[in-house]
Amino acid sequence: MTLDFSWLFDPLYQTWLLRGVGTTILLSLLGMVLMFVIGIAGAALLHLKVRFLQSPVTIFVELFRNTPPLVQLFFLYFMLSEIGLTLTDPVTGGRIPLFTGFTCVVLSLGLYNGAIAVEIIRSGLLAVPAQTVEGARSLGYSRLQTFRHVELPIGLRMSIPPMTSNIVSLIKTSSQAVLVAVADIMYGATQIMLETFRNLEVMLLIWIIYLVIASIAVLVVRRIAAAFRIPGYGS
Amino acid sequence: MNAELKLFALGTAGVTLVLAALLVTVYGAETGRVLQALAARTPLLLSGSPDFSRFEGGFAANIVISIWAMMIAAVAGTALGIGMISQSLLVRAPSVLLMNVLRNSPWLVVLYAMLYLLPFEIEAFGTIFSFSPVIKAIIGLALPVTANIAEVFRGGVEAVPTGQWESARSLGYRRLQILRRVVVPQAIQFMTPNLMTTYAMLFIGTSLVVVTGANDILSVARTVIASDGAHYATAIYLYVLFLFFLFCFPIAILTRWLEQRVRVRQ
Repeated sequence: MTLDFSWLFDPLYQTWLLRGVGTTILLSLLGMVLMFVIGIAGAALLHLKVRFLQSPVTIFVELFRNTPPLVQLFFLYFMLSEIGLTLTDPVTGGRIPLFTGFTCVVLSLGLYNGAIAVEIIRSGLLAVPAQTVEGARSLGYSRLQTFRHVELPIGLRMSIPPMTSNIVSLIKTSSQAVLVAVADIMYGATQIMLETFRNLEVMLLIWIIYLVIASIAVLVVRRIAAAFRIPGYGS
Repeated sequence: MNAELKLFALGTAGVTLVLAALLVTVYGAETGRVLQALAARTPLLLSGSPDFSRFEGGFAANIVISIWAMMIAAVAGTALGIGMISQSLLVRAPSVLLMNVLRNSPWLVVLYAMLYLLPFEIEAFGTIFSFSPVIKAIIGLALPVTANIAEVFRGGVEAVPTGQWESARSLGYRRLQILRRVVVPQAIQFMTPNLMTTYAMLFIGTSLVVVTGANDILSVARTVIASDGAHYATAIYLYVLFLFFLFCFPIAILTRWLEQRVRVRQ
């Protein structure tokens, strides 16, 4: 078996791949933002024991954590087109669907990994030493202020190691975008495979690209963690 | 067990209600008809045959694929885990590298790569082994899970106090003997909850085998949608979500209960 990578020198294929990498990174970044919003909000509601909201948050977390993100994606994609929400394009005046494949992928990434993030941040909050919280309370901070200024900053730092693997998982999951025809890196790969029939070589290259993206993400998180380190809390 | 039972009741009832509410919101007055259509398609989605006569497709295929992949990954992952705690750098470094590569690979890409990497059939020892889509799917899923199991194995072994190693060594045991007879029997209680989480993750991952052409539940769902009309797509995906939830949620609850028990015993 010989591997032939000569197709890689074709400028057209290079453009497809680069554009795909850009889409994948954009998808992942937007998904991460949504993941953090859901994760922090959910963990706060559970940690502060907000009445009437605890059970809905728990149900949300269990629903999205225990079902495949791919089925969630298909479900969102088909349900939102079934309901048929559309916007009027201000430029052309035509109707465009409010939820494109891209939006659905970002939503599903944010929901699935956000549900996991709720649990991660919550255990980070539980790992904050009780004395620190009591100290803040005795200094006159209210329950909410303690949460905002003491528990959340320390708890988020405590949750960095599991959050790193959650972020890597989000980047890996984003490869599902190709199945609802979003032009991410996998989509570029399938296009090239259709034209060159070099299936194995293309897939190996994509595999390496994903490894590089995931490794860069891990390095960036490590730099951020080091920059925001509080001496004495976490490693 | 009480807190876990309460969570189980809340989760099951809550999720059932949420999914039912979604179904009614999307279909409105048509809900009854849609439910009838779902009921008619249930045998096909669960077993891949219209009357439960065979269990080789649909949700049953997902379960079979996940069990095979887990068994292969358990063997390979243990071997990789032993490599990762080896004293020789020549064994340890490649094992750690392999683990990291496999753990950071997207499952979908590994599945596609296996689809093209594995030959259609190979001849060995005079017999022909053919790689059906199902076998390719099993191998493709087992690879990333191997890395997870190796990591679980290493974590479990490291949770056993080093005094155990030293005393076994002074009794004259060799390294692999210590692992097998002293350390692993004690580490198994730390590993079990994590292994169950890994299995739940693997089962969720079996939804991806739709790309290999295996007759799994999503392939069956797509066929049903193609024959019954795209109108039913939302209902069918809701149903698939519900099935996965019913399978994975009890595992998650059991895992939490086991974790709690291990923590209390320490």
